Amino acid sequence: MIKAILVFNNHGKARLTKFYVHYPEDLQQQIVRETYHLVSKRDDNVCNFLEGGTLIGGADYKLIYRHYATLYFVFCVDSSESELGILDLIQVFVETLDKCFENVCELDLIFHVDKVHYILSELCMGGMVLETNMSEILTRVDEQNKLEKQEAGISTAPQRAVSTLKEMNIPQRIKDIKLPDLPSIGNLKF
Amino acid sequence: MPAVKGDGMRGLAVFISDIRNCKSKEAEVKRINKELANIRSKFKGDKTLDGYQKKKYVCKLLFIFLLGHDIDFGHMEAVNLLSSNKYTEKQIGYLFISVLVGGTSDLMKLVIQSIKNDLVSRNPVHVNLAMQCIANIGSREMAEAFGGEIPKLLVSGDTIDSVKQSAALCLLKLVRRSPDLVPMADWASRVIHLLNDQHMGVVTAAVSLIETLAKKNSDDYKGCVSLAVSRLSRIVTSSYTDLQDYTYYFVPAPWLSVKLLHLLQYYPAPEDATVRNRLTECLETILNKAQEPPKSKKVQHSNAKNAVLFEAINLIIHMDCDANLLVRACNQLGQFLQHRETNLRYLALESMCLLATSEFSHDAVKKHQETVITALKTERDVSVRQRAVDLLYAMCDRSNAEEIVLEMLAYLETADYSIREEMVLKVAILAEKYAVDYTWYVDTILNLIRIAGDYVSEEVWYRVIQIVINRDDVQGYAAKTVFEALQAPACHENMVKVGGYILGEFGNLIAGDPRSSPMVQFQLLHSKFHLCSVATRQLLLSTYIKFVNLFPEIKPQIQQVLQNENHLRNADVELQQRAVEYLQLSTVASTDVLATVLEEMPPFPERESSILAKLKKKQPGKLKETMEPREVKVSSNHTDTTHTAVAEPHPPPQPTSAIDLLGLSSPTQPSNSVPNSTPGGTGLLIDVLGDLSGESSTDVPSSVQKTVTPTPGFGSVLATDHFSKFVCKNNGVIFETDLLQIGVKAEFRQNLGRLGLFYGNKTAFAFTSFLPSVETPGCLESQLNIQVKPMDAAIESGAQKQQMVNIECISDFIEVPVLHIQFMYSGVLQRVQLRLPVMVNKFIEATEMDMATFFQRWKMLSQPDQESQKIFKAKNSMDGEQIKTKLIGFGLSVLQNVDPNPENFVCAGIMHTKMAQVGCLMRLEPNKQAQMYRLTLRTSKGSVSQRLCELMETQL
Repeated sequence: MIKAILVFNNHGKARLTKFYVHYPEDLQQQIVRETYHLVSKRDDNVCNFLEGGTLIGGADYKLIYRHYATLYFVFCVDSSESELGILDLIQVFVETLDKCFENVCELDLIFHVDKVHYILSELCMGGMVLETNMSEILTRVDEQNKLEKQEAGISTAPQRAVSTLKEMNIPQRIKDIKLPDLPSIGNLKF
Repeated sequence: MPAVKGDGMRGLAVFISDIRNCKSKEAEVKRINKELANIRSKFKGDKTLDGYQKKKYVCKLLFIFLLGHDIDFGHMEAVNLLSSNKYTEKQIGYLFISVLVGGTSDLMKLVIQSIKNDLVSRNPVHVNLAMQCIANIGSREMAEAFGGEIPKLLVSGDTIDSVKQSAALCLLKLVRRSPDLVPMADWASRVIHLLNDQHMGVVTAAVSLIETLAKKNSDDYKGCVSLAVSRLSRIVTSSYTDLQDYTYYFVPAPWLSVKLLHLLQYYPAPEDATVRNRLTECLETILNKAQEPPKSKKVQHSNAKNAVLFEAINLIIHMDCDANLLVRACNQLGQFLQHRETNLRYLALESMCLLATSEFSHDAVKKHQETVITALKTERDVSVRQRAVDLLYAMCDRSNAEEIVLEMLAYLETADYSIREEMVLKVAILAEKYAVDYTWYVDTILNLIRIAGDYVSEEVWYRVIQIVINRDDVQGYAAKTVFEALQAPACHENMVKVGGYILGEFGNLIAGDPRSSPMVQFQLLHSKFHLCSVATRQLLLSTYIKFVNLFPEIKPQIQQVLQNENHLRNADVELQQRAVEYLQLSTVASTDVLATVLEEMPPFPERESSILAKLKKKQPGKLKETMEPREVKVSSNHTDTTHTAVAEPHPPPQPTSAIDLLGLSSPTQPSNSVPNSTPGGTGLLIDVLGDLSGESSTDVPSSVQKTVTPTPGFGSVLATDHFSKFVCKNNGVIFETDLLQIGVKAEFRQNLGRLGLFYGNKTAFAFTSFLPSVETPGCLESQLNIQVKPMDAAIESGAQKQQMVNIECISDFIEVPVLHIQFMYSGVLQRVQLRLPVMVNKFIEATEMDMATFFQRWKMLSQPDQESQKIFKAKNSMDGEQIKTKLIGFGLSVLQNVDPNPENFVCAGIMHTKMAQVGCLMRLEPNKQAQMYRLTLRTSKGSVSQRLCELMETQL
């Protein structure tokens, strides 16, 4: 079972936290800090698994993580999950984000926390893998987007017509999240 | 292609940018507080907010929460959003609730009502949202509300695939949290058949659910094995073309394959030949595919392929029956050991650990020893090195122990701090387990202390002392070696402890050599004295008093040290007390008394190594098999001879001596938090030193043979009687308060028993009018004949008095005799009442019988009232050795080779009473997966069966 999914950047700022086991809020923060501490000091080419921190379960739990440019994606899982399977799941998650946000970067995660949660909830539910087929996931996300557009209706249209992001003074718009080897969807259907 | 961004909420984006532009933490907090105030006033304001606004504010709160600030409002608004007709509003409401609302919130009733409405919605997206919320929170209230509905949704033919998927996982959560509220028995066969579902996503979710259900009730879900095998077969052998989009980087449905292979690990290898062949074929295909050239150079391809491969290997190891597959698996892992991917090396080491415990593949694993040692030395990643240590430990046997221990010691000098303590424990265990020659063992442990003294825990040095004391062939060597080690200019305090203890006991064995004459030994030890902690100094004082007995010629020098003002007025009570008492003892007592009091320590009772217990505690999650290096059956004869020589220090633990001499809580009774420093194996002398108080827990192995040494500070306020601990053992402390400690030592033969009760006065004042009496409640009076011997009515401060109780068992009984004690303590009458550990099983004597006799007798006792059976959850460890110890302690013999299933225990004994003898047969079937036992007792008398069954249940 997956106990928690944490995404934070190179400085330890949380960008997504999802706990499938309830922890009090302050403990959640501590877990993020501890995990960041464990993961960030590791070199990039060592293995992607390590024994869990003390706060989140001890020896029976493993942290399985990937580091993409500015972001760490960490899954905390128990011994019943396949390590490599989870590693692939992280890849699927990131590839899905990349498709949804058209070249995802850290800022997308910051400004669209809600969307990221929705995408994640199509992959995992209650700590178990729900769906792994990316085209299936994308279809469902698409359905939701359509619903959202319908509901947005005409009333808010003028507002939205103004490109919100342009007006705002966002300093570093970094598009540097590098995904290893992204194939297009078409390649997947073999 | 969905593009989710673009039409965001402007206010939210502005707020986030503001935060990001904050130059300092203070500015950020200020901005956040301003926003929180704003949102709060908006929520409280008269103007009704529309859905869009509510949604925007809730999103802001989520963002603030993510930054690490507590959110204490907005919950009600989120709940309101749930009942909105707009999907986007509903969605954000659910998101807020699953992130910020725990299962115990007051709002849960409202949330549940909203979920109820959404579950029956015609829009599947709404249904899914509701189920996600249930799966995230999964409280008992939710299980009560939905435990009946969701199974229907899952198996109904009308439900669409995506809803089925969610329903399976939603149910899984409820079953895990509140199994009692989700009756799944009726659904078993329909749930199993989801394995045949068209949609691969549904199958993946269903396998997870079935796995959890099978764990709880494996019989009901047995049917899933053949379905899982055939589904797996269709995927891996690719006769199945309808993989939809579930091919991931050229690997067909890797997640589903992994899940199926994992599910099969909850069951033994299939019995049905067809199913079994099909499974073997699958596993072979997976192994074959690993040898094929990769279809893609992408790391995702090899990851997915290997995920399946590793799970297949785990299944092969779990079935542990096909030597061919096991060896192939081992070779495959061997290849991975040298792979350039660190992940694969890590996993290969981990899986090989399991393989090393199988008799079929143990030798194959050993071939890779060199590679593993190289990994230990050269891997850059500490996680991988840790796995290498684990594997070396698991693959160690008699043939390679010396080399492995040597390598581990060498590595220890540079090892990472994080794994040193565990490595020390492992080296200590291996050295003990595989020592052919105990001088090697002593050398190894002393090296261990020299190299990694700080990481050598108490257990390790206690253990080396136990072994040296119990084996006289090594005592001289140990004294000599430890003496030499102490000559190093800087030696670790643990070395001083071991040295002090061993020289105090066996210094005389090397005193003949002028280089280690008594005076030299004493001066050497005393030169370390001032560098040591108080606990070690206490121990050294005991060594000195032992020297007084061993070497009368240096008594004046020792008395001089004891007389030192620093000791006689030491701030540490224990140190002071020892100095005063030892000084007094050395001046007052005659040589005969000295020789008796300071006699060599008697051998320690054999028991499971406390080091092993410590290691197990450090790694609770690990499999038992990998923890304990397993005695692998080797057929060649030459090892058998060494085996008997070395098996000696590990005889099956004797129940009567299972008391923890060193005051470490015994591993067989994890619940026992009060260390029992109970009388040693030899008779129970009255404590000559009158030193009943102030014994600190750190120096329990004090060389002076103290008798009862209670440890105040440990639960001293609670007056608990430890009755149930005495079902399987006869000696120990049965009662303890601040005032009084009562120890018991019991012996039983046939229908007679003798109980020694030892009353220790822990206070500074005498007890007077001390009057114990024994009551036999109910009909017990006619069943037991109890004779209480008289004793003195006064117990001096710090003294211990003994009382004998004789017991004759007339007929079998159920009640328990009660001991009443009353006494005066500083003018106040005190009363104590406790149950005496006299149970019907104490009068059982073990008998041996062969399989035929056992089953013949078993069948003879087949009347319904002769049998008593209980099925219950394990309360303690299910480790086979521990269970065995308990059964033997219970009074029964554990019969070998009688039950076809080696996991089960069958036992026999005869109960002696004056009226009759009752034959007792027992069968205990542990189910480790479910953590359950089935216990069956058959005796010629129904009431006995029932009572024995009850008693035994309390011990498991």
